[in-house]
Amino acid sequence: MERDPLKGKLPVTVISGFLGSGKTTLISKLVRHPGMNRVAVVINEIGEIGIDHDLVSMSSESVSLLANGCLCCSVRSDLQETLRALYNDRRAGRIPDFDRIVLETTGLADPASVIQTLITDTMLVAQFRFDGLVTLVDAVNGSSTLNQQSESVKQVSLADKILITKTDLVEEEVVSALRDTLRSLNQNAEQQCVTQGLVNPEEILGLGLSSRKSSEAYQRLFSGLPTTETEEELDKTQGRYLGLSQRSHPSGIETFSLVFKEPFQWDSFSAAIELLTDLRGADLLRVKGIINVDGRPLVIQGVQHIFHPPVELDEWPSENRDSRLVFIARKLQPDSIRLLFEASRSLQATSK
Amino acid sequence: MTKQRVESFIVCLILLILEVTMALANESMSRNMKLLSQSELDGFGGIGEGISLQQAADGRRILWLAHESAPKNFTGVDVTDPRNPRVIVQTELPHSNVRSNSLDVFGNLMAVAYQTKTVGLKPAGFDLFDVSTPENPKLISHFDCSGPHSRGVHALWFVDGKTVHMSSGSSDFTPTNPLDDQFYRIVDVSNPSQPREVGRWWYPGTRVGDDAPPPPRMRAPLDMGYRAHNTNVFPQRPDRAYVGYIDGGAFILDISNPSKIQVAGQWNHSPPFNGFTHTVLPLFSRDLLVVSDECVLDDGVDWPKLVWMVDSRNEKNLVPISTFPNAPVDAFIKKGGRFGAHNLHENLPIPTSFQSETIVIGTFFNAGVRVFDTSNPFQVEELAYFVPSTPRLSPAGAVQINDVFVDEKQIVYAVDRFTGGLYTLELTI
Repeated sequence: MERDPLKGKLPVTVISGFLGSGKTTLISKLVRHPGMNRVAVVINEIGEIGIDHDLVSMSSESVSLLANGCLCCSVRSDLQETLRALYNDRRAGRIPDFDRIVLETTGLADPASVIQTLITDTMLVAQFRFDGLVTLVDAVNGSSTLNQQSESVKQVSLADKILITKTDLVEEEVVSALRDTLRSLNQNAEQQCVTQGLVNPEEILGLGLSSRKSSEAYQRLFSGLPTTETEEELDKTQGRYLGLSQRSHPSGIETFSLVFKEPFQWDSFSAAIELLTDLRGADLLRVKGIINVDGRPLVIQGVQHIFHPPVELDEWPSENRDSRLVFIARKLQPDSIRLLFEASRSLQATSK
Repeated sequence: MTKQRVESFIVCLILLILEVTMALANESMSRNMKLLSQSELDGFGGIGEGISLQQAADGRRILWLAHESAPKNFTGVDVTDPRNPRVIVQTELPHSNVRSNSLDVFGNLMAVAYQTKTVGLKPAGFDLFDVSTPENPKLISHFDCSGPHSRGVHALWFVDGKTVHMSSGSSDFTPTNPLDDQFYRIVDVSNPSQPREVGRWWYPGTRVGDDAPPPPRMRAPLDMGYRAHNTNVFPQRPDRAYVGYIDGGAFILDISNPSKIQVAGQWNHSPPFNGFTHTVLPLFSRDLLVVSDECVLDDGVDWPKLVWMVDSRNEKNLVPISTFPNAPVDAFIKKGGRFGAHNLHENLPIPTSFQSETIVIGTFFNAGVRVFDTSNPFQVEELAYFVPSTPRLSPAGAVQINDVFVDEKQIVYAVDRFTGGLYTLELTI
């Protein structure tokens, strides 16, 4: 029996959003939702969401159980400490069992550092897996916040899903313009309008890869990947995904994708990634893709300088054997990256 | 707020915290294991350390369980649908001073051990049954091991249809210390109606008349005897027996000539550790041994009782390289009953048994059944666990998961020592 590197780890969904984006409203509705049974929600200011009436018990000084089975947990000194304590308390039976974690970040938090913590902390990476970043943007102030606050740009750029809040307070055109701006920053993240913080947990949980099985989760994770077969279509795809017409945001952040027909060897692929992160890691906001390494399908995911351990899928999800990579990056030329990977591969071929 | 109101508020708060703590203490705990069913086995839910799964000719899958103590002998459970286990047969012991504790099934042949409470009683030995009609086990023969210094058979291993390897006393064996009464015996049952002993080995110095002096004792209350416990032989190495010899440690015995068994390798962590080596499970492709202790005293008196990873590249120099991660000690040690290592799933070489060279499943009494990934033998990882809530009427005040068997479909069968019976679980790793 071969162990699945992802299955069995506790999924962690991160919720970010700038101050005033409606996080507290969303979280306070979410924790009371019947679908949140056996979910632990880590909350910054637990007092603000007013759970007293729904409280069943205090399992420990920082963890409360609600009637629907949701665990509300206040943040300890830092993220690592909080997640470790949750894991240890669960294992010791000090708090009820939970199957996943939802983590609220502070308004000013850089979600990249949260994701990096989940990937790099030895204990956390053994027990947890990052399951997706959900970013809230409010329709009233979203555009101006994005223009003024670089942190909010990053929150949007890294997101797997964007929730647009307070859409009932503005005209439709404002929402439409905001949607375009958000798309220019992050083409892959699905956008969803939310009013009064009402969201179905299923819509924001399970965004990530939950096993090495080439399954629905995979399709969800990489739905934005190009799937073309012919060179001609490939060119069109590149044109579309290069997003030249959408390079409108002043931050210089854009989404683009690259397709490689020839398989890689792991050494040459990882060498190219290493060079890229050494030179431009800070501008490499998010990278994800499926790579053909000697015929095997490997999923890679990275945030700035840090990459998750690659996961080999049990099989290719379709007939397509191309390597496909999506980048959300700041002021990076797609052609330069393409050349870097091609050069690395050509060196590999020479040394063979 | 008046002083009285403050006081009553504090009392309420304390009661609430106590209530919550007690409620939590009695909740099951699980990680990557899902309970499919529990069967209290018709009110006789105390199971020893004998579990095997028969694939019956009619397609049914029958789980055979040896009881921890009288009045029941063994129980057959139809687990064809693991969500709906059904007791199909449950047998009685002849009297209350004997227990079966151990059994194995090969094809339609079942061997059942009998150990008496004190020496000199009968039945002490093992039975062979034909279970081709599972509802009606037919006795084929009884192998008598009774004697003035014998309590009979504690544990047996029967996985090839021809040979019973066991921990047993004998009428002709007088131990130098009464605690050392059970030794390793090999019995040829290729003719099931006429079992005959073909080999034996005992720890030097434990039999009256030995040249070697009697071995030194563990300090009280840890002195549990120099006796065999699990005596496992696998088709990968038919010339080796892997034997847990309780306070004598772990042994690899060369059984290529059963009439002249020799020590091929040995390792004992005790003292300074607290003795009771129970199981020696070889991971053949990796030159490793997984060695489990047994916790035998309640409330942590004999803690630590561990599972060890031992490098066996050189049989003559067995080297411990790590121990398995423990369940949180503070949370379990005083929870009730025993806490610590016990039985492992032993990769039984039968078609219905799960086989793995990396995934190891063990039982830990009040810390339930726990699953480990040993891919890195220096740093074993815990993958999954299931700790049932306290079974009804449990005298220990907590579950005491005693033994485990995992089938080829990765369904995990774990049993409670007293009242909880059978827990059928799905591994979701």
